Amino acid sequence: MQNDISTSKTEHFSLTEKELHSILSTALSRGGEYADIYLEDTRISSLELQDETVSQAQQVMLYGAGIRVVQGTQTGYAYTMDISPKAMHQAARFASSVPSTSAPIEIPALKPTPLLTQEVPMLEPVVSKSILLTINKRAHEISPLVVRVKANIAQRMQNIKFICSDGTGFSDHRPRTTLFISIVVQKDGKTQMGFGSRMYQRGAEFITPELIEELLQETVRQALFLFDAKQIAGGEMPVVLAAGSSGILMHEAIGHAFEADFIRTGESIFTGKLGQQICDKGITIVDDGTLPYDAGMLRYDDEGIPGQRTVLVDKGILNSYLHDRISASHFGVQSTGNGRRESFRHMPLPRMRSTYMCAGDATEEDIIHSVKRGIYAQTFTNGQVQIGAGDFTFFMKNGWLIEDGRLTTPLRDMNIIGNGPQVLQHISMVGNNLRIDHSAGMCGKGGQRVGVSQGLPTVLVDKLVVG
Amino acid sequence: MEQLNIAAEEIRHICPNADFKLVLMNNHEDNIIIRNGQIEKMMHASATSLAMNLLIEGRDGFFYTNNLTPAALKAFIHNAIETTRLLEPDEARTLADPSRYYKGDGADLQNFDATLSAIDPSKKLRLAKQNNQEGMQLSPDLISFQTHYTDRQHQAYYLISNGFQGFEQSSRCTLTSIATAESEDGQHPADGWGETRIFLKDMPSEGIARVAIDRTLRKIGSRPASSGQYRMILESPIVGSFLQPILNAMNGQYLHGKMSFLAGKLHQQILSPLVSIVDDPLIPGTRGACYFDYDGVATQRRSLFSKGVLETFFIDTVYANKLGIPPTTQGIHHLVMQCGSKTLQQLIAQADNTIMVTDFNGGNCDPSTGNFSYGIEGFLIQNGVIVQPVSGMNITGNILDVWQRVSDLGNDIDPWETELLPSIVFEDVSFGGL
Repeated sequence: MQNDISTSKTEHFSLTEKELHSILSTALSRGGEYADIYLEDTRISSLELQDETVSQAQQVMLYGAGIRVVQGTQTGYAYTMDISPKAMHQAARFASSVPSTSAPIEIPALKPTPLLTQEVPMLEPVVSKSILLTINKRAHEISPLVVRVKANIAQRMQNIKFICSDGTGFSDHRPRTTLFISIVVQKDGKTQMGFGSRMYQRGAEFITPELIEELLQETVRQALFLFDAKQIAGGEMPVVLAAGSSGILMHEAIGHAFEADFIRTGESIFTGKLGQQICDKGITIVDDGTLPYDAGMLRYDDEGIPGQRTVLVDKGILNSYLHDRISASHFGVQSTGNGRRESFRHMPLPRMRSTYMCAGDATEEDIIHSVKRGIYAQTFTNGQVQIGAGDFTFFMKNGWLIEDGRLTTPLRDMNIIGNGPQVLQHISMVGNNLRIDHSAGMCGKGGQRVGVSQGLPTVLVDKLVVG
Repeated sequence: MEQLNIAAEEIRHICPNADFKLVLMNNHEDNIIIRNGQIEKMMHASATSLAMNLLIEGRDGFFYTNNLTPAALKAFIHNAIETTRLLEPDEARTLADPSRYYKGDGADLQNFDATLSAIDPSKKLRLAKQNNQEGMQLSPDLISFQTHYTDRQHQAYYLISNGFQGFEQSSRCTLTSIATAESEDGQHPADGWGETRIFLKDMPSEGIARVAIDRTLRKIGSRPASSGQYRMILESPIVGSFLQPILNAMNGQYLHGKMSFLAGKLHQQILSPLVSIVDDPLIPGTRGACYFDYDGVATQRRSLFSKGVLETFFIDTVYANKLGIPPTTQGIHHLVMQCGSKTLQQLIAQADNTIMVTDFNGGNCDPSTGNFSYGIEGFLIQNGVIVQPVSGMNITGNILDVWQRVSDLGNDIDPWETELLPSIVFEDVSFGGL
């Protein structure tokens, strides 16, 4: 493991390398191929504006360590909030309780853990408060129909130290800042809501006046749009997915089914399809942990594997799954650096980072013009998929009816329903306008939530159920 | 308890005019996953943490930490007070009226298995292994058969500065089977079944695997049915999800935020006359049973809907102050819906042109209008017989309109759930499919 910035120790954990080595030895005392320790000291702060005032604050402090022992595909795990050597050895003994037939392995001397980044200062609460009051004032200025504003600035600083039984490890500071705005507009006795957010792994320096203006305009426009929008009779029809937040399709319908724990167990619909042509040659899909400041960016994953860019589908051919150490070992391949966990209270799983489809060469205009009657799906608010069957449902907050190649009627609140592999096969045009959606995207799996992003150029899906 | 007293003394020392609510929580958890006969994961955790609400002249901060060494705790409180003082006052943010606090004279609610965290993990492992073996023997051709055992012991000490001290505890253990099959067309249908108990000794050791496998195999070959109006049978385990938008709209936060489709509808008939639901947290031996809520306010049996009439909103102290109405309760604890007389099989037998919905797959309900769209899967029923598994469909409409069209109720509640809701029949529901 390379020393990226320095080898200085973080000040958050008092355990010495010798003590950590001893704890790893306890973890592997009853056998096991691999063990790791994940120490975490996290602070989360948020301030919220509602009812015209900044009257609510939250702060969360999480401190503890998770210890894992792996034998093949079996995992023993324990965590403790007391990181004294005594408590850590006790947790290590529980983690070691997974049955093992292998003899204890020799753990090399632990190397000093490289510190990957310097700590980023958190925003002073008084500055957050000032930004929130500005947002409130500006929202009312943008439209007199705005009757309620809610805004929140949340910052998380996760300080971690990771060490594993091959003697390597790292320390990292992982900042994450989220700005969330919701507004309520009223007209003629009717109420509509709009939401907007941005989330990056960095300090709050991205919250500029320009960003605030862009986000507010977007949020108010989205809410006002809904006054005139309609729902239409459902059925099967062509769907044009707009660039950006439609990338939820990549995440839900495709990405989850590429997570290699679902491949290892045979649950995923993509099991056994490695190397096969699964869609048109014009389609390339990537899961990327290298985008600077992105919510899914990882310098190292939570198993000590360097962050990287993984091509899932290369010109229509299934090129790789998303691996953590366990699935990589099972399949005899290198981990793709997708082992992630929410906190020390969770064991790592294969998880996505930033998942997107690469740009094609069609213009958005050409794609819309090609549709006789269908839907232009513009903004999605959530989605869900059943990994095994590949069936998904995405909720479209707003969009347009396409008639004779033109956007004619504003639409709202409709579901797009389909099947992941089938949708891939029915994508017939890919736009040249890839956009990564940096809204506050959290992905849930196995009771854990991690930050992700997703992206898509405008694409045409020849048929999907809309309702 | 020592940490609670340290925290209280520190707050009183630094900021004598602060009100506070302190909750010290102890949790123990065990998790075991077995797949295809092999242990996949074993996890054990014990955690102590402190949640704190600070109220300084209308300024309200929420703080949480699990670093409870005296030095860390004092630093945490200093920082919390400093942050709270930066806020702008909101006069509505007060503690509850002490006269509403639980007075501490209730009998044991019998909702805590004191032995759970001390039970030898090998006993829990045996239970999980037995379930997994049962599933593997019943259907060896499955792609995957997974058993998940999980349990949790929870204890919490409360200290509220205007005169409340309380202690509450609960436990649960859950044994779940998840089966994944493969159909001829390469699909991988999966479904599961689980049972939850308060005491481990009450957990059934057999039968869960069979239900999970049956539920999976019956989904093979699912496809969308034609779009149209159908009668809908909503299976008991997911009725709560379809009721949730209405419960949300009863919440003071939604009402105050102008985001509730129930504003102005108190005491009006908004659901079918067949729908009567109470929240009853005072039944010993049930999940969700409690004598007081998170504010320390004493709980009571409360009618939510009587023959379809909306009888209450969920108004806590803060939103009672904001809305200028009397407080009721923070929310639900143990829902009980009045049942019908028919089994689910009888409801199916009398059905025609009906879709029985067994799971939701995404979707939304607009809190301000009640208009919804949910992805669904289930079974098409013709002439009292299930003729086809369906998926890739959705239901749309207005949540109140649909709940007014309840035509029958089952008797199939699960007494071990926190929401005791039977299967329900709805007329004329819009299904989108082919």
